[in-house]
Amino acid sequence: MLLKDQVALVTGGSRGIGKAIVQALAREGAKVAFVYKGSKEAAESLEAELVAAGGTVKALQGDVSDPQTAQTLVSRVLADWGRVDILVNNAGVIRDGLFVRMDAANWKAVLDTNLDGTFYFCRAAAEQMALKQRSGRIINVSSVAADHVNAGQANYAASKGAVNAFTRALAVELGSRNVTVNAVAPGFIETDMSEAVRNKAGDFIAKKLVPLRRLGKPEDIAGVVVFLAGPAGAYMTGQVLTVDGGLSLGAVTA
Amino acid sequence: MPSEQEIFEKVRTTLVDALNVDEDEVTLASRLRGDLNAESIDFLDIVFRLEKQFGVKIPREELFPEAIFSGDPSFVTDGKVNAAGLKELQEKLPFANLAEFAKDPRIEKVEDLFTVEFIVSYLKRKTGG
Repeated sequence: MLLKDQVALVTGGSRGIGKAIVQALAREGAKVAFVYKGSKEAAESLEAELVAAGGTVKALQGDVSDPQTAQTLVSRVLADWGRVDILVNNAGVIRDGLFVRMDAANWKAVLDTNLDGTFYFCRAAAEQMALKQRSGRIINVSSVAADHVNAGQANYAASKGAVNAFTRALAVELGSRNVTVNAVAPGFIETDMSEAVRNKAGDFIAKKLVPLRRLGKPEDIAGVVVFLAGPAGAYMTGQVLTVDGGLSLGAVTA
Repeated sequence: MPSEQEIFEKVRTTLVDALNVDEDEVTLASRLRGDLNAESIDFLDIVFRLEKQFGVKIPREELFPEAIFSGDPSFVTDGKVNAAGLKELQEKLPFANLAEFAKDPRIEKVEDLFTVEFIVSYLKRKTGG
């Protein structure tokens, strides 16, 4: 168990990639608190499943785009478990639409959750990790969309591009305190978020655009998060690790 | 009310922890940046730990004023701290030893004011000395 007795906090942990991350961290022996916004049933079911398997897991309700949430929930984790060793900023939303018709509300909603939420949680955990513990791992879930953009995702791409830059900035500021900060950029993963596109073009994408000839599973991303959170990732910081089956290489099957 | 020696020893312990230096590297004259290699985040860390060690509250900017570092053009002319700047330093850092600095007030030497003695003087005042 690579992460025995470490304390992890994962945002957006009730479904999709976040859920796989929670499961993977718990499997490696970490105590895991995860944040969910509206999926109460999914969250409680995940918590029950992992506790039944012998894990220490807690579901916490909160909206990461609310500035208060991060402070409140990080304080709770500290009160219950005394530390935060691993922070995974995974909560993310899309509000796809053509740019010329994109309204400010859709722009803001995506930036608020994907970028600001990441900022609030990093800041809430930074004092604990950098000043009190002098150790920590921060992993931000980004996307290939930051660099490999399709039409209709100007807001999403902007938010993830910003997360990548923020990751590098934080790595520089917290490095002397033994906190590594990295990002994972998933490609096309089988989750609720990609369901609509998968229905329309999943097969095409898998067969024509992904060298590994399949879409990704949430577990594919979780594995890399565990690497970054664990002992093997100790000297890596400020990096964005692309995990996309080769999608961003831009090849089309001949 | 702690004696100056007691204050120095606690400050020394704090700096050893915060900066990962050896005890014998820390003297009253040691400059935080120049001699003990403190970087920006270390200053925050030091304030944090001093608050805990001495049971006092150190408001932001009271011990390590940030603006003075920033080369604010009203305080700095041609790379030297000007009269307005010196006055500002005297006000913000009443416990600092400005006599030496005033002889060669280059902006890059402001950080040399932050010595262990500077911290000890600040804490003497703070703890009622």
